[in-house]
Amino acid sequence: MSSKQNVFEVDLNLPDEKLLELSQKIGIGLSLDEMKSVKNYFKEKGRSPTDIEIQAIGQAWSEHCCYKSSKNVLKKFIFNLEAPQNIFVIKEDAGVVEFDENYAYVLALESHNHPSAVEPYGGAATGIGGILRDVVCMGAQPVALIDPIFFGPLDLPYKQLPKGVKHPEFLFRGVVAGIRDYGNRVGIPTVSGSVYFHPGYTSNCIVNVGCVGIVKKEDIIHSRVKELGDIFVMVGGKTGKDGIHGVNFASAELHEESETTSRSAVQVGDPITKEPLIHACLEANSKKLLNGMKDLGGGGLSCVVGEMAHAGGFGAKVNLEKVLLKEKDMMPWEIWVSESQERMMLAVSEENLKEVLDIFNKWDVNVVVIGETIPEKRVLVYYEGEKIFDMDSNFLTSGPLYAREVRIVERIQKDIETEKPTDINKILTKMISDPNIASKDWVILQYDHTVRGSTSLTPLWGDVVNFSPQDSAIVKPVEDINKGLVISTAINPFLVEYDPYWGSASAIDEVFRNIVAVGGRPHTLADCLNFGNPEKPERFGDFYQSVMGLNYATKDLKISFSSGNVSLYNESVIGSCPPTPTILCVGIIDDINKKITSNFKKEGNSIYLVGKTEREFGGSLYYRVLGIKDGIAPKMNPKNLVNYSNALLESMKDGIIKSCHDLSEGGLAVAVAEMTFGSDYGAELDLPLIQDMRADEFIFSESNSRWVIEIENDEKFEDFLKKNRIPFMRIGKISGKDLKITQKGETLVDVPIETLRNKWKNAIWNHMG
Amino acid sequence: MLFGIIWGDYLDRSDIKVCVLRIEGTNNEEEMYNAFKRLGTSPEIVHLKELKDIFDYNCLMIPGGFSAGDYVRAGAIFASRIRAKMANELHKFIDEGWPVGGICNGFQVLVELGLLPGFKRMDYPNACLFLNNSARFECRPTLLKHESKGKCIFTRNIPKGEIMMVPSAHGEGKLLLPKEKDFDKLFENDQVVFRYVDKKGEYAEYPWNPNDSAYNIAGICNEAGNVFGMMPHPERAYFDRNKNGISGMKIFESVLKYIEEK
Repeated sequence: MSSKQNVFEVDLNLPDEKLLELSQKIGIGLSLDEMKSVKNYFKEKGRSPTDIEIQAIGQAWSEHCCYKSSKNVLKKFIFNLEAPQNIFVIKEDAGVVEFDENYAYVLALESHNHPSAVEPYGGAATGIGGILRDVVCMGAQPVALIDPIFFGPLDLPYKQLPKGVKHPEFLFRGVVAGIRDYGNRVGIPTVSGSVYFHPGYTSNCIVNVGCVGIVKKEDIIHSRVKELGDIFVMVGGKTGKDGIHGVNFASAELHEESETTSRSAVQVGDPITKEPLIHACLEANSKKLLNGMKDLGGGGLSCVVGEMAHAGGFGAKVNLEKVLLKEKDMMPWEIWVSESQERMMLAVSEENLKEVLDIFNKWDVNVVVIGETIPEKRVLVYYEGEKIFDMDSNFLTSGPLYAREVRIVERIQKDIETEKPTDINKILTKMISDPNIASKDWVILQYDHTVRGSTSLTPLWGDVVNFSPQDSAIVKPVEDINKGLVISTAINPFLVEYDPYWGSASAIDEVFRNIVAVGGRPHTLADCLNFGNPEKPERFGDFYQSVMGLNYATKDLKISFSSGNVSLYNESVIGSCPPTPTILCVGIIDDINKKITSNFKKEGNSIYLVGKTEREFGGSLYYRVLGIKDGIAPKMNPKNLVNYSNALLESMKDGIIKSCHDLSEGGLAVAVAEMTFGSDYGAELDLPLIQDMRADEFIFSESNSRWVIEIENDEKFEDFLKKNRIPFMRIGKISGKDLKITQKGETLVDVPIETLRNKWKNAIWNHMG
Repeated sequence: MLFGIIWGDYLDRSDIKVCVLRIEGTNNEEEMYNAFKRLGTSPEIVHLKELKDIFDYNCLMIPGGFSAGDYVRAGAIFASRIRAKMANELHKFIDEGWPVGGICNGFQVLVELGLLPGFKRMDYPNACLFLNNSARFECRPTLLKHESKGKCIFTRNIPKGEIMMVPSAHGEGKLLLPKEKDFDKLFENDQVVFRYVDKKGEYAEYPWNPNDSAYNIAGICNEAGNVFGMMPHPERAYFDRNKNGISGMKIFESVLKYIEEK
């Protein structure tokens, strides 16, 4: 092969061990079996592959691109769920679901874990960049960003930091700054997310990013070429050496040397290139000038050209020298696999080409024709007239599939008798200042959550400067109607770690009740499954159980997963991250003016608990604070969840619910405290005697499908719930400036709200301020 | 929509052309456009490159965002491009009494252009919106007290002393002027339009004043009252959905009333 073009033949006639060594040396991370099938393919062709061809296979066959470990399990438990509101789901970069008769909403959720562990600012920022492109490439205007992020403990002493790992505070600051600077600059509100701290994330931080967009149904566009003659037009940022082997990096465990060896796998983001790129793409699409659109993400050109052509039933011919470069000395294979940011690929008919070029020129966005469709299902790449790549797209896009070994780690759970703690005030205060409960305003207020002027409920809401955390955010995406999108995420890694099946089912329960708590009807789900190395049977066992739990929890809910992402190999020498199936739910509220918020509204109103409380303390914050490792993990019943939810939504319509908050970590006591924080009031709870449970257990239990509710008209509410056979309990009233909890005259908790609020507000600030 | 019927003659309104000016990184143009559109006018989102003649319009609005990435200093690049393209026309537009408004990044641009506080005609800044004292970008609701005695044409429909809740979202919003005398002049000239207050209406510290702006100043106008800038976002509080009293809409109504009567 011509060395003039810097393309070299790769000799695969090697013994097994050399073959595997080669895979590692050139950074594609294929297994021996995979290398062997590549070897056989070229043997049949009677030639050796070029470096660019073998690199392309490395991209297409990575775990990140072809889901080779997870696909079988997902097919069985997740993809088979259906819901009538789905327009099309799972198959493309983002799911498309019906909003109303004219509009659809689009959602996507994915991980950017490995890049963020090495370069937190750039990794998180380009995570936002990538998820925005996933939504834009369906023709949708992004309207909301979502960021669930997970780190090790902020107070970890430096000397306990494993070698090659960056300190949690370093990662946390970097990730938040990256999300802030990219999201705020590109002008899409960051409205939802979560922040978690757990020792298991110390050497494997998790950064998930989600995006929701809105599109007129007639403007929905697919990620494929439409017809023969379609021209490939590449738009946006230039291609550089940043982001080479990103997908391979994401498909292996992190190690001590990741910093030095994989830095170039992290891309460099530029929101001020992205902002006009979004406008230009959407303008060209709404003028019906595009036949297909796909973002350049993992695997770069290599994946996007092959997948677009293949999905349209054609092949592609590319002139690689046309690609605009950031730097001169790039090898052809580097251009082909680079994951540089802010790039999109368009399929355009000849007759529309000029108009498309004009639009991008107007916006000062780079635009260049790089290739065309061809009838035969092959991908051909030329460099200055010389053919350097020739493969059938079938072979390229049909990566291997594995049925990985599943080993279920038995987790013995038993309910135990504990001694009643003497000072419940102190325990509640400790819980309120736990970083996983404490106010995340340090993070949230740095994100612009009101840009676009369509945010109807912000993540923190209350009394101007004092906030209650809200269960969901609400965005009104269409100017002329008052219908809103309700957005929330959920995952409690302590619970999933304790019990992957019920922990995952609980995440569905939590996200569902979060949407209901603000008055929304849950409508669709997305999942981002972050787990350890799937080649280790016990890790894959966790994955398997978690996915089964998700399946169980969703099957009666009449909603399904419309988008998802799997991130495996979140593992380093000291172990895996806790199993982390992040769940995103989008709901619908018919009139945003009828939203319900979580802060208490009026002194004297009654406080109700809806739902059943059980002795479920496994993985709970209460037992963590007490240092107890036992307990039963919370179960959930999808039918109860739906029934309770429907009853609450019905009462909200009648206007009798004044505020509502879901019960999650820390149970009833923490939920009520949070409801007081965004108000001027305290609360007095007086509990009846509870069967099988002490009062302290009752106020801290983390049983699912429960809400705290503020009611003005007790009778009407109680009648309605009784009629619908919904378990409820009147537990007290809004009153004074303290949180008082008593049972039959005995005081459990009596603390001024101001004291609790300060603890809650300052816990994270004390580390970060 | 209802607004055309409630607020004056629809036909006249639709003759009012508002230029919502943008470059790359401007990202609040749609909500600004909607604010004027809802009131029945004919706004246009115009890229600076494509602006032909500012006198084609009755009002110039510079929306928020991160124009050109806010590199150098917030608003500085946008300001220098405007200056290069139309410094004289813009001064003439203002001298003829046409309204020019800037929200958030737009306020920063007007300050960088030297149009605010605009004590005399100059083509360089005589004030600055510095980094917030918290040294962070902050997105939070803020309470604003309307202080204008009537000079500012953007707030004439709002009674003096009224309090509005308007979201703020900026990293550089702390207004400082070079001399104490400049502040005296600002107050004497009735150029102080909005100040941050607490729930009781008193001038209070952070977080009520989110950036620790001098004298709690959130928005100012020029001596003639037709150039106006503010950091918080009335276009994001256009509808009083949360029943806080005065809605952001009043600002857009005020300037339209001025144009109609001009």
